Amino acid sequence: MAETMQALDLSQNKYSDVTMEEKDRLFAEVKSDDRWEHVLYGCYECGICVAACPSARFYDFSPRVIAQAVAREDTDLVYTLMADSIWDCSQCFSCDRCPRQNSPGQIITIMREVAVKNGLTSAKEALQGYGRIIYKIMLTGTQVSPDMLQPDAFPDWGTHVHEIAENLDDWRKALPPETLHTTETSWTIDDKTIIELYLIWHMTGVMDLISGVDEGLYDIIVDVMEERLEEAGYDDVTFD
Amino acid sequence: MAHEKVNGCVILKDLHYNVDNNTWVRVLDDSTVAVGMTDVAQNLAGPLLHAKTKNVGTTRRLGKPIATVESGKYVGPVKSPVAGEITKVNPELAGDAGLINRSPYNGGWIVEMKADNLSEDLSAMVSGDDAVAAYKAKIERDNIQACEQIEGADTYD
Repeated sequence: MAETMQALDLSQNKYSDVTMEEKDRLFAEVKSDDRWEHVLYGCYECGICVAACPSARFYDFSPRVIAQAVAREDTDLVYTLMADSIWDCSQCFSCDRCPRQNSPGQIITIMREVAVKNGLTSAKEALQGYGRIIYKIMLTGTQVSPDMLQPDAFPDWGTHVHEIAENLDDWRKALPPETLHTTETSWTIDDKTIIELYLIWHMTGVMDLISGVDEGLYDIIVDVMEERLEEAGYDDVTFD
Repeated sequence: MAHEKVNGCVILKDLHYNVDNNTWVRVLDDSTVAVGMTDVAQNLAGPLLHAKTKNVGTTRRLGKPIATVESGKYVGPVKSPVAGEITKVNPELAGDAGLINRSPYNGGWIVEMKADNLSEDLSAMVSGDDAVAAYKAKIERDNIQACEQIEGADTYD
């Protein structure tokens, strides 16, 4: 049976178990962002943002609903959107053609960041499929690795994806730069770069964000980082 | 060795399971255990590309990672079902992580550990028919898809 598009439930009832104080707090955090005053000016309801939005064609999603909900300061609806709708946006910023200079895409960026910082269930669910990408980028600084190209992950590549995956070492060695003769990372990464990267994660407190959305991922990343930092002489750097 | 299949997933009745973390424990002697991923866990992870175990001598608290497993899109920890020290790691896994997919309960064991307090840790796990019931409930609750058969699943032991 073909899957049908799930209609977005914008009623006030879906998240009635969350207190208004909590919804107010989260919305206040969104509005306190430094970018806030540059992303929302008002809405003519012209629908240009929706017309340009690729996600609106495939999901029950509307950038205009986002802009209007935050403009009306409808705290209840803003929470509902933060828990559901904002994760349907592809962050392509096609909506950045608003005659009032609104940017629904950037409003969503801020809402997503608040959702992640506060460990909202929707953020955990949305990021679940990106675990390995987060793992790669945090530990190696390269976002994707050639060995992600597996038949089970990319069936849409066609039958030859089997051949590519099975002979990945050879394909990579056929590339002229030696730094690309890698399968687990996009390119060879210098030890110095790795250590600097880990020190940046430590100084900025970014690991706290990850522990809020995926504790298991946090554990394995911290494990590797602490080990490498200790080997490099940074015995006193811990993430606990 | 008796086993039962739940939604195609093999559960060996003589092992002890931490159902939440999807790990199994085989008691080797008074304080030593072998640890691995369940059939359910390896099916959820998909065909594994890498399995990196922690080094021998590493001490772990309950729930801390003893290995990291990666498939095309997934990465996750194998969480220690006991508190103690890693005494042996499966040398085969470094070159063949798929062994966990093919033989999660035998060839694909992950580490051996000397547990600090084995009886206490075991009391928090389930085995036998209780394990089968716990997995039935988990598979239903989490809507886990049918396991693709591991090698020799029909006569697995």
